[in-house]
Amino acid sequence: MQNKKVVAIVLGVMCFALTAGICIQMRTVEGTNSTVSNDYEENNLRAEVLRYKERYDNRVKDLSDAEAELEKERESATQNDTALKEKEEEITEGNKVIGLTEVTGPGVIVTLSDSKKDASSSLDPSSLLVHDTDVLSVINELKNAGAEAISINDQRIIPTTGIICGGNIIDINGEKVGAPFEIKAIGLPEQLAALDRPGGYLELLRSYSVGATLEKSNNITIPKYTGTITYNYAKSISE
Amino acid sequence: MKNGMKKGKITMIITAGIACFALVLVMTMQFKIVNEADITSIENMRKSELSTELANWKTRYDEVNKQYEETTAMIEEYKNNKESNEETSNLMDSELEQINMSLGKTDVEGQGVIISIKETDNEEVEKITSDDLLVIVNALKLAGAEAISINDQRIINMSDIVYIDAASVIRVNGERILAPYTIKAIGDSSYLESSLIGNGGAIDEMKKKGQDVTIDKENNVTISKYNGDIETKYME
Repeated sequence: MQNKKVVAIVLGVMCFALTAGICIQMRTVEGTNSTVSNDYEENNLRAEVLRYKERYDNRVKDLSDAEAELEKERESATQNDTALKEKEEEITEGNKVIGLTEVTGPGVIVTLSDSKKDASSSLDPSSLLVHDTDVLSVINELKNAGAEAISINDQRIIPTTGIICGGNIIDINGEKVGAPFEIKAIGLPEQLAALDRPGGYLELLRSYSVGATLEKSNNITIPKYTGTITYNYAKSISE
Repeated sequence: MKNGMKKGKITMIITAGIACFALVLVMTMQFKIVNEADITSIENMRKSELSTELANWKTRYDEVNKQYEETTAMIEEYKNNKESNEETSNLMDSELEQINMSLGKTDVEGQGVIISIKETDNEEVEKITSDDLLVIVNALKLAGAEAISINDQRIINMSDIVYIDAASVIRVNGERILAPYTIKAIGDSSYLESSLIGNGGAIDEMKKKGQDVTIDKENNVTISKYNGDIETKYME
């Protein structure tokens, strides 16, 4: 008799756990919005977005080819004249600095990842995440240490790049990137590695149990900015 | 009787076993779904997000398309003027003008905003830090600012804004700057203003802390060029 009671209780607990499990799952699925959406309009929109994204990607490829051709034309047009040659080098160098060409060199790779700690174990779960201000500070410090080119998850930082955080994704150059964040910087590795000094920003992040590592490398490739730089409001004042 | 008891027990054990199995299955499924749900994927977006995303891609397509057309036109110009060094030189100058503007090597003007930040006498109000300035500059960039300066230090791609503990000063581009701070930005003046003073905006947040910040729209803001040399040693 006693036994039966125990079994009944065990069964009851199990049933409860099962129900709870199913409820949590249903809510999660609802929250993440399943891939099988029956909303006709939503699917249409989704297809439209994909179509535009594809058109954009193709155009970016075309642009990249055209830029390579332009570089060739420029080179062949300037090969017989030293003054022109100098100008050509100025253009090439300028494009590197503003992020319009791919660059390589020595530097560091900083990786920031959200804490593996259980969010419920912390009084302030948000302190376990990597925020836009963290990324912003790391980039600022890298610039301070003499970084010449920087990218976040392969999004090149150009003069007008802003960084914003929404939930656990960060928006850079209009592209959405999620954690972990891989920040690459080209410059003198020893100097850039100062970011990892005792009392430095990476140590501070680690004290919040956010993942923060720095690795030196002799060969870092930073891709070019894939968008366009246009000025609609600012005009140069000619001297 | 004894046999009956045993039978009941077995049934119960089997039931418990099935329940356990189902429970584990559900849990595994749930973990898998959570893991697979890539929050950056458009598969998981809702209608309003999708509309924004579509508008976003359309703008970006138009921009890249315009750039593509300009580049192909430029290629043609180079091809047609190959024989003339003078024409080639003019073409390069027009390319350089755009690049130098991006680099911050030219003075620029246009509509925009001017932000003034003063230290207050109230001891309870936090002092202005380099992070405050960094956050404002980032917010201006997000709102589409095309050129920015702090106390006439032009913000270029390599600009840093740091606080030097030992000297207790803020440095921008390695140059010391002192309060009051004047931040100038060129861009859509209404949009720049509203994004910064709106609820949760960079200036709104500073004002909530009691700091003395004002922003003014201007029809003509002049931002001077970067004074230093832009040198690169490590990247190729």
